[in-house]
Amino acid sequence: MSEQSVSPSLPGAPSFFTAVKAIVWKDLRIEQHTRQTLSLMVMYSLVTVVMFNFALEANLAAARDVANGLLWATILLAGTLGLHRSLALEQDNRAIDAILIAPIDRRVIYAAKVISVTLFTFLLEIILVFMFVVFFNKPFWQPPVLFILALGTIGYVAAGVVITSMAIQTRAREVLLPILLFPIVLPLILPAAIAVAEYMTGQPEMSRVTSTVSLVLAYDLLILAAGFIAYPYVVES
Amino acid sequence: MFFTLPRMNKIVRALNILALVLLLINIIVVFFYAPTERTMGNVQRIFYFHVGTAWVGAIAFFVALVAGVLYLRKPQVKWDTLGLSSVEIGLVFLTITTAAGSVWGRPAWNTWWLWSPRLTLITIAWLVYAAYFMLRGAVEDAEKRGRFAAIYVIISFITIIMAYVSIRVLRDIHPVVFGGTAESAQGAAEGLQEFEGGLESMRMGLTLMMSTITFTVIYLAWLFNRMRLQYLKDEVDSLKIRVVNRLQGGGA
Repeated sequence: MSEQSVSPSLPGAPSFFTAVKAIVWKDLRIEQHTRQTLSLMVMYSLVTVVMFNFALEANLAAARDVANGLLWATILLAGTLGLHRSLALEQDNRAIDAILIAPIDRRVIYAAKVISVTLFTFLLEIILVFMFVVFFNKPFWQPPVLFILALGTIGYVAAGVVITSMAIQTRAREVLLPILLFPIVLPLILPAAIAVAEYMTGQPEMSRVTSTVSLVLAYDLLILAAGFIAYPYVVES
Repeated sequence: MFFTLPRMNKIVRALNILALVLLLINIIVVFFYAPTERTMGNVQRIFYFHVGTAWVGAIAFFVALVAGVLYLRKPQVKWDTLGLSSVEIGLVFLTITTAAGSVWGRPAWNTWWLWSPRLTLITIAWLVYAAYFMLRGAVEDAEKRGRFAAIYVIISFITIIMAYVSIRVLRDIHPVVFGGTAESAQGAAEGLQEFEGGLESMRMGLTLMMSTITFTVIYLAWLFNRMRLQYLKDEVDSLKIRVVNRLQGGGA
């Protein structure tokens, strides 16, 4: 593996965290100027929610029952937009080449991309939770629910950065992304959605869902470890 | 080793015959040696195929994971071929497992399919490994295809880990409530708890072991044949390129 990652001990090379901070900062600056990623994600989520309402035929009771699953589905769908934009942006202007030449470990790029896309998705989720509380009248704002959402998001993005980086380098490009990414993250979303549903029915006690949440956490750790090991090979040129 | 030989080799040939013989013996054992289960009757015999193929599926995906790691450490065609072959066979076995389970589910649960966490996770695993071929198909460059396939197969194995772990954890939260028949069947699936003591249990255990060994041998035979096929295909491709080059050279 050492042959793939450029040694960070070169003279003048930034430390791991400095480099991560620099790339995250760059992504946030781009977003601050263009405001494209987040607005795309929010618009897409809105369209999705409205579309699902057709299926529910404006039946509020039915909508409330499925709101939890709907929230996760919306995050998954809109999340691919954030992932794709954040990573294709580098590909489009061959900016990725410049980052790759920089005297930094390639795992830095992985860490930075996971952090910046996670931040975008968190912002989206704040808006989505507000929307879902209004539309479906269910208390999604409770801290344990937000905590599970955050854990799920980290695992989703950690898998997403690796898969998206590969998908955009293939012939099929973004068409391939949902086919590869959704099945991979479903073992994470399944316990996460079950945990939220369990928590919101009956007594709101965190202890009842601890074992299910630990599954989410286990997935997060596994995928982050796999991502850190595998990512240097994804961008190898 | 078998990994590099394009030609039929003695060991592979012997393995083919062994697999066939074991399969025949296994069928006889399952239908005539294994006792008829008390509550489920003959339907329970499906379990020997169900569990045997599920076991092989897990082994096949694990082999693919190892091949992926080896490929990333040292990019050699043989590891890519091993990974491809193993995923392909694993997917077939996973399909057999699901189909057998479904056939059993019809009399036991009175339905072909249920969206329980266990069944859902197996469906997800099937999708994950089916998408492996989509990824391979979308990359033209052989080196990149091998590299991406190796990365994907490593990440995919998390699905298998989660499927095994989730079943243990989620079961407490979602108890299976399908009536008595399902409980006995579930016992049968998880080490035959229902049939404790006596000759009946031992004979069932032996049959299950026989099935597992049989399917493992079938997997190995199949794997070597599939790899051999891939090498032949690669050889034909390189020959084609040589012919084209020769023809172009002659024309100019």
